[in-house]
Amino acid sequence: MAEELKIGVVSCSGEDCLGGTISRLATRKMLDEVRPDQTVTICLPLYIAGGQEERMFAKEYPTIAVDGCSKACAKRATEKYSGKVNSVVFVSDIIGDELAEGPALSTRNLTAEHAAMVEKVAAVVTQQFDEILSKNVK
Amino acid sequence: MLAKSKVKVMACSGMGKVYGLMAREAVLQTVQNLCSEQAETTCLAYIVTGDDAATAKIVDQPCITIDGCPAMCSAKSAAEMGGDIKAKFKVLDVMRLHKGAKPGTATELTEEGWAIVDEIAAKLCAEVAQIQSEGR
Repeated sequence: MAEELKIGVVSCSGEDCLGGTISRLATRKMLDEVRPDQTVTICLPLYIAGGQEERMFAKEYPTIAVDGCSKACAKRATEKYSGKVNSVVFVSDIIGDELAEGPALSTRNLTAEHAAMVEKVAAVVTQQFDEILSKNVK
Repeated sequence: MLAKSKVKVMACSGMGKVYGLMAREAVLQTVQNLCSEQAETTCLAYIVTGDDAATAKIVDQPCITIDGCPAMCSAKSAAEMGGDIKAKFKVLDVMRLHKGAKPGTATELTEEGWAIVDEIAAKLCAEVAQIQSEGR
């Protein structure tokens, strides 16, 4: 039986913009609901601070970076320490630059509109996820 | 007289555990509601890119870090990028005062979790005030 492929989803989780909150929630959605058995979330700060397990995982398995804005911090960090990401999803491409770069959102103040943004981003991540899966049978 | 620069309050926002979310929410509560005039945050992932604009936000600036777990990623990264770390907090230390508490998950906090977040934010804000009053 083929081993089930795992995919690392790396969220920027930016603390200073809405895009960061949406990237975090979309990534958590992948892990909690959409592809719980195949998603591995990589803790970006730990990864950057030298987490060897995270870096090894990202070297050996496909990764998707979910970045809040065009600074692409999650993608850049992953590529610096582990190699090219298989895909990058920019929240700003989906909800627009102005919104994505607006003030950070506490989940305490999450509205239906924000939840819809999370859904949209998670849908794009899922599409990328399934494309990667279809090309890779480990 | 030069205006005092805002204290940078930075969270790890760790993805895998509830403590990362609590750190993140405590920082947002601090800089958006409790002491927005004296404190601000910046994206930790951006700081460590090393971009000039990112580095300029933190080098020699007074910083407080709050980390979810003992890995202390926020404190390490902020220090490495040149921040002047005035205080380091850890969510786990606060959780020791709330044995048996169920704060929620890495996705969503419970009421109990939010109450602890508010307690942490109050500590962060007090530290910000202390740093500013001492001109540290």
